[in-house]
Amino acid sequence: MRLLTHNLLSSHVRGVGPRGFPPRLQATEVRINPVEFNPGFIVRMIPKVEWAALLEAAGNLHLIEVPKEPIQGYEHNEEFLRKMHHVLLEVEVLEGTLQCPESGRVFPLSRGIPNMQLRDEETET
Amino acid sequence: MSDVQEATNQLLDVNLRENQMSVQVTESGPRSESEHLQVTIGATVPTGFEQTAADEVREKLGSSCKISKDRGKIYFDISVDSLAQVHCLRSVDNLFVVVQEFKDYQFKETKEEVLKDFEELAGKLPWSDPLKIWKINTCFKKKKTKRRKINLNSSKQKIDNGRGDTTVEKDVKKEFTNSVSDSQILDCYENPTIKEEVSTLIGDDLTSCKDETEENSKEEGDPEVLKFRVTCNRAGEKHCFSSNEAARDFGGAVQDYFKWKADMTNFDVEVLLNIHDNEIVVGIALTEESLHRRNITHFGPTTLRSTLAYGMLRLCAPQPTDIIVDPMCGTGAIPIEGATEWSNCYHIAGDNNPLAVNRAANNISSLLTKIQVKEGKLSLGLPIDTIQWDICNLPLRTGSIDIIVTDMPFGKRMGSKKRNWNLYPACLREMSRVCRPGTGRAVLLTQDKKCFAKALSGMGHLWRKVHTVWVNIGGLHAAVYLLKRTPQSFVHPSEQDGERCPCTQR
Repeated sequence: MRLLTHNLLSSHVRGVGPRGFPPRLQATEVRINPVEFNPGFIVRMIPKVEWAALLEAAGNLHLIEVPKEPIQGYEHNEEFLRKMHHVLLEVEVLEGTLQCPESGRVFPLSRGIPNMQLRDEETET
Repeated sequence: MSDVQEATNQLLDVNLRENQMSVQVTESGPRSESEHLQVTIGATVPTGFEQTAADEVREKLGSSCKISKDRGKIYFDISVDSLAQVHCLRSVDNLFVVVQEFKDYQFKETKEEVLKDFEELAGKLPWSDPLKIWKINTCFKKKKTKRRKINLNSSKQKIDNGRGDTTVEKDVKKEFTNSVSDSQILDCYENPTIKEEVSTLIGDDLTSCKDETEENSKEEGDPEVLKFRVTCNRAGEKHCFSSNEAARDFGGAVQDYFKWKADMTNFDVEVLLNIHDNEIVVGIALTEESLHRRNITHFGPTTLRSTLAYGMLRLCAPQPTDIIVDPMCGTGAIPIEGATEWSNCYHIAGDNNPLAVNRAANNISSLLTKIQVKEGKLSLGLPIDTIQWDICNLPLRTGSIDIIVTDMPFGKRMGSKKRNWNLYPACLREMSRVCRPGTGRAVLLTQDKKCFAKALSGMGHLWRKVHTVWVNIGGLHAAVYLLKRTPQSFVHPSEQDGERCPCTQR
């Protein structure tokens, strides 16, 4: 699971609503997997990124060199874009957990795949 | 319309154009004549997606297409050196080279006369250039088949060495214990059509789109007699003959003309005789019908043809950086096609079935391995992730997804019609929540059109139906719906009605 995916995930435990975001990420196994750098993709993706969530996840994974926020003129700053590219697309969590920040419910993450299924009693509807 | 006219004129004058091309060749230099050959290619596409396929041809080959009245076929012209690229088209099922097209064939009155005409036709057709194309094409196929067989053997060996048997259930268990990085290209998950699906997906990528010349030089002067068959497809009310009769008599004449040997199953050349009312197209197949079509038609629509997945994705016009989700991905056919063709988007594949999720993940890693083999260097990751989730409770932020593309349970092989009654509205509701208001869209395939229409009818404030494509999936009449997400924000229902989510019922 990449950090870009994590940025989209939100716990859907009953009653939690928007407070289910972002799930707290813990990793026991991480892999760095190179992905072709596409600056146009990163430039357009940056406005969609939830920065606080990204920084929290990156912090939990002990990643260094993570920009704290979009800097002025980031569209043309290749160094910035490459760092964002690395953080969003090249860091893959293979084993770990995701925890709902509101209810504490833990979702397992194994072989790169998070299991976000809820039991009946936990669901909204 | 001028495009159609242009294409039509080109089709009618195949011979004339070839003569003109020869003249041009001598003027332009010492290149061999065959490289400048212009040919008309016919392609079969999933019915309903003819325009989508035509768009892809224009985009990738620069050729305009003529869409046949005979549903599911398009025609376009290319030069021979583009032949390899034609095989890289993602929206076509089968390809053939047109020998001749008759736009308004005059059938005689009696069966005997009509069949006699077919016999005489065989010797009058301009076979030589199409056969040159067929020969060049055979070299591509030989390479592809060889690679596929090698991979087939190696993955079979893995299974045999590991457990000593090859039953489907054992394969599935082995999936769990194997690491994700195992390159098992053929996953026989319950349905043998998936074998075709994945290998089509990956095999097509393996086709070398560049170095056919070395194969060409090895293929000179094959002394063996060619084996052939004639396949006739006939549609129309007023014909006084059957497709079998036409195939038989036309085939007999072809055999006399070329001195080839007739063989229905193990053939080199497949001659196509397509008759649709007054339109006749004679062609030579460039792909093997048996692989692509008959298996899938026979076994039913659980795994989506990659051509259909491609057509569905194209329908929603993905923009760079769009986040595209398949919340019921099964083996991942749609997101994998998406990640390959629209690598400037981000794809997420999800399913509630752990077997399916693992299958999808394995298909992705197999694809990565194949790309690595082909490119000969460390393969880069694809922009796709897999998640296990429930469609009725997607663990995604509200309004965060740009596109949803999925193959909804038909209620025949997966689930039931009764279950769909609750599932479809719940799906549409949850999809409307995660989909970005205003710009978001969904492309949904289903055979349960009644249930879908009812589910959609209560959601006019969230989804607007923009387009419907009627498709034929293994004999079932299905529909692909293109929906646009309205600008209205999603509001959580204030009451919890305590209804059990239908997708938790297994």
